[in-house]
Amino acid sequence: MHNFILLIRRFFNLILFLSLEIVCIVLVSGTQTIQGNDITSSANAVAGVVYKKQSDIVEYFGLRKMNDSLINENARLRQLVSSFKTLDPVKDSIIHKEWRGGDSVKKYVRYADFVYHTARVINNSTSLPDNYITLNIGSKEGVARNMAVISGSGIVGRVEHVSAHFSSVLSVLSSKQKVAAKLKDGLTGYIVWDEKNPDILLMTDIPQQAKVQKGDSVFTSEYSIFTPDILIGTVENINVNKKTGMQLLYLRSSTNFRNLQYVYVIENKMAGEKKQLEDSINVKTKP
Amino acid sequence: MRFTVLVLLQVLILNKINLMWWTYPPGFPMFIPYIYPLFILLLPFETPVWTLLLAGFGLGITIDTFTNTAGMHAAATVLMAYLRTNVLSALLPRNMSEYEGLQPSVKNMGWSPFLVYSAFLITIHHLVFFTFEMWTFSGIGMILLKTFASGVTSMLFIIAYVLLFTRQSNSRA
Repeated sequence: MHNFILLIRRFFNLILFLSLEIVCIVLVSGTQTIQGNDITSSANAVAGVVYKKQSDIVEYFGLRKMNDSLINENARLRQLVSSFKTLDPVKDSIIHKEWRGGDSVKKYVRYADFVYHTARVINNSTSLPDNYITLNIGSKEGVARNMAVISGSGIVGRVEHVSAHFSSVLSVLSSKQKVAAKLKDGLTGYIVWDEKNPDILLMTDIPQQAKVQKGDSVFTSEYSIFTPDILIGTVENINVNKKTGMQLLYLRSSTNFRNLQYVYVIENKMAGEKKQLEDSINVKTKP
Repeated sequence: MRFTVLVLLQVLILNKINLMWWTYPPGFPMFIPYIYPLFILLLPFETPVWTLLLAGFGLGITIDTFTNTAGMHAAATVLMAYLRTNVLSALLPRNMSEYEGLQPSVKNMGWSPFLVYSAFLITIHHLVFFTFEMWTFSGIGMILLKTFASGVTSMLFIIAYVLLFTRQSNSRA
């Protein structure tokens, strides 16, 4: 026993070193899973407050640019509204739709599935293999895990950690998530990122015989966590893999990840019900 | 005090700057200089190893919290802190106990030993950090490239910091 204590005393530094390294590795491996841990993420109170203070100051320098982007978005939305003039106007997130079947015209009320929360970006990165964005709203404002985040011009990411007043979003610029996407003619594939240029996204799983041209637009598909038909980017380059017979599309992202300022967090009201249904199927089919 | 200054400098300014190689060859990654390990480098000579380790762990976890990389910075900084005493005793001409109350600096060590000391430990730190970050053996060229690019810029920032924030010796006045 005496020898044992002497041994510990002699190698105390080495033991401390090894145990601290083990703690670090455990922490790292904890974050390699999808959900990760909430304590050491930028959604926690201290880091959130520091980032918010900085953003309060820096915000003033980008107001003109922000105005421009909001005006552009307004113009786009006005155009969309004008094409829906035949429908009833949107009232408090309830949509009245007409349904024409045969001779009769029926009207039915459809509750909008999606609620948009506006949020300000208070921290952002584009140079890491997995980029995170910190937002200034949290669970108090109704944000929850796995909600989709979009900007005025395209897709941004998925909420990963939430605290009371902040949330951190795993950006599309990450090796950890894929986004289901489709081309104009309905061909589906996945959007990934090659960890190099934050302006370029990759679209995989397009068969070789599909005719794709430079300049084609790519949208989110119905299977993604985002609402369908959001612009992701335009095809800039096409690369054919002879071995697998698949095409790899290089897209110029429509979102500028370098200067995100305001984003929308999309709450899908039907997500819970959908998940419940899918889970109940899984339970039944298991032996 | 220096802890706060370095962490804020790192998190609020340096992490926002994405540097590119100026000729921009294709496939060359963007990189960030890391200046916060300077806190460990500048602790006084007689600091015991266990204090260094705990300080390194605390510093690393703080940076990790801000950048959503739980444990990666901490692992690199702890290893750097562990090696610090050995590197110092190998580089210094006299015994470590003769430097009572001093801290490693250009003034106390001279230019070339200080640069070798900081460059060696910064390289170790960056190598471990980028290995954790990429975590593949196929990307080993990329790891070395990032370590090199980031390490050189980190050293430039460290030299700038050392020149700006060390007090001039009174003997000259």
